Amino acid sequence: MIRLTGIARTFLVGGEEVHALRTVDLEIAHGEYLSIMGPSGSGKSTLLNIIGLLDRPDAGSYELDRKNVTALSDDELARVRREKIGFVFQFFHLVPRLTAVQNIELPMILAGIDPAERKPRLARLLAEYGLEERAGHRPDQLSGGQCQRVAIARAMSMGPTVILADEPTGNLDRHTGQEVLSVLERVHQNGGTLVIVTHDPEIGARATRRLRMLDGAVVGDDSG
Amino acid sequence: MRLADLLNFAWQVLRGSVSRTLLILLAMGIGVAAVVMVTALGEGARLYVASQFGALGTNLIIVLPGRSETSGAMPGVLIGKTPRSLTLEDALALKRSHAIRRFAPLIIGAGDVRTGARSRETPVLGSTSELMDIRSMELAQGVFLPPGDPRHSQPVCVIGSKVASELFGSRPALGEWVRIGDRRFRVIGILAPQGQSLGFNTNEIVIVPLAAAQALFNTESLFRILIEAKSREQIVAAQADVEEIVRLRHEGERDITVITQDAVLATFDRILRALTLTVASIAAISLAVAGILIMNVMLIAVTQRRREIGLLKALGATGAQIRLAFFTEAMLLALGGAAAGLVVGELGRSIAVQLFPAIPFQAPWWALVAAPATAMLTAVLFTLAPARRAARLDPVQALSRR
Ligand SMILES: Nc1ncnc2c1ncn2[C@@H]1O[C@H](COP(=O)(O)OP(=O)(O)O)[C@@H](O)[C@H]1O
Ligand SMILES: [Mg+2]
Repeated sequence: MIRLTGIARTFLVGGEEVHALRTVDLEIAHGEYLSIMGPSGSGKSTLLNIIGLLDRPDAGSYELDRKNVTALSDDELARVRREKIGFVFQFFHLVPRLTAVQNIELPMILAGIDPAERKPRLARLLAEYGLEERAGHRPDQLSGGQCQRVAIARAMSMGPTVILADEPTGNLDRHTGQEVLSVLERVHQNGGTLVIVTHDPEIGARATRRLRMLDGAVVGDDSG
Repeated sequence: MRLADLLNFAWQVLRGSVSRTLLILLAMGIGVAAVVMVTALGEGARLYVASQFGALGTNLIIVLPGRSETSGAMPGVLIGKTPRSLTLEDALALKRSHAIRRFAPLIIGAGDVRTGARSRETPVLGSTSELMDIRSMELAQGVFLPPGDPRHSQPVCVIGSKVASELFGSRPALGEWVRIGDRRFRVIGILAPQGQSLGFNTNEIVIVPLAAAQALFNTESLFRILIEAKSREQIVAAQADVEEIVRLRHEGERDITVITQDAVLATFDRILRALTLTVASIAAISLAVAGILIMNVMLIAVTQRRREIGLLKALGATGAQIRLAFFTEAMLLALGGAAAGLVVGELGRSIAVQLFPAIPFQAPWWALVAAPATAMLTAVLFTLAPARRAARLDPVQALSRR
């Protein structure tokens, strides 16, 4: 469960304050499927980064699974991020020199999980995301859809409770985008929380709860 | 993060940019190899000098006429003015000292040594039976000069092995007569080949009794008195005794120079050690250069791998893990460079040994430890700043395309 209260984030750009987020209050229940839409610059990514503990708010408080995470140290945040949160990015962000399976393995390596335990998990993830044939390939040998599937498998490798996807289909063609989306939606079907930032109204409409943002504020919250 | 994973991760990075890795390995390797080779040369020279002095015999004290203020110069190259010569009587007076085990007065000249038709110019040493023990000489055949009163002599001589073969060919030399100047000597011993000692090649000398040499060269002046102290601890006492005894005999004049092997050796040792250390430090500077190269490469890596670092943080890496990844990379580079440098240094050393077999080139243990350690230390030191910068990267900014 995610509870944001009075969250604000201001950037200083050339001496001028840019209010990326102005007092956002938001509660996301466990297992929800949420889409965030809105024009470019409305604060969608900033909100996602704060939910994902990559960024800190300037004001407000954040409760994750009934625990206040606003005041945690950087290292503690890293640990929470590692265990509870999976990120999926528009540009995949795979490490180019590592193979698909090595990329998927990264979070488990950072968490210090025993190699003997990593092996079966990796096999399961590769099978689940249809990547068995591509396990030994590097990102430049993979299609965009395959890259994003690797990124999703990587995000899922630690069994997070929340998956945050920032325009995950923004860099893919329509068909592949649909495919990747259905892979992401499995998270929701398996009972996990899924938050997707998107420009595509068609994709946004598939979520069970749809947020609209404008100028750093949530202006629409539709669960119909 | 597990050590194996950390190493593997760094290994992937290094493998991913081969030319960069090789460049740093080269720089590190050159630095380490330079330290190893330079210290091997210095240590080789030191050991060589020490072994040369060791060949002089143990607990040796050398007395030469003339006062020299230089305390640690090499015997033989010392030129002091000789206001009064050193005589056999001076030498015999040394018997009074309890710190002296034995002594051998020495006269040196060049003589024309002949037998039948063959003739050869060699250094001729006049001395006593004690010379053999003091200089640790060994005989291949026969006996050394007989003991007895050095004021009287028998017409006998001991010759070097090369002199023997040149004068007698394959015929046995022992018992034969040779002519030196206008005197005849019977060969009673042949020296075993021993190489250089006291500035002479023992293969090429002829040794005759002291009194004979005095007559041959028509001189009473001794070239040296070689003294063996009773023990290492007695060297100082013996030296003092010598100075006092001769001073009393020379009407209070301090007109001799007493050199102890210890002092000379210690001086050489100090000089060569200092020299080795100095050149080693100069060589170590190349390691610092390698360190700066590592720092630059790492700083570039932090910029180039911004997104990767941001990603790792998004995946839950702590600042410490990011720093550790960079340090591991640097350590691998340093280790690889050090290993390569040690191998190259050893190669250079063995080549030097081939070229100069007489000199025991051997990098001292401290250099073999210090060079890789310095490589490691510079690698870590110069990675501090880049690693810190990487660990502090803001993941949001690092991941954004801005
Ligand atoms: N790191 C940053 N530094 C300065 N300004 C930023 C930064 N991140 C975001 N902004 C600004 O904050 C506002 C919201 O940005 P963002 O959350 O990326 O919007 P969206 O994802 O909805 O396009 C924009 O005006 C953007 O320029
Ligand atoms: Mg955005």
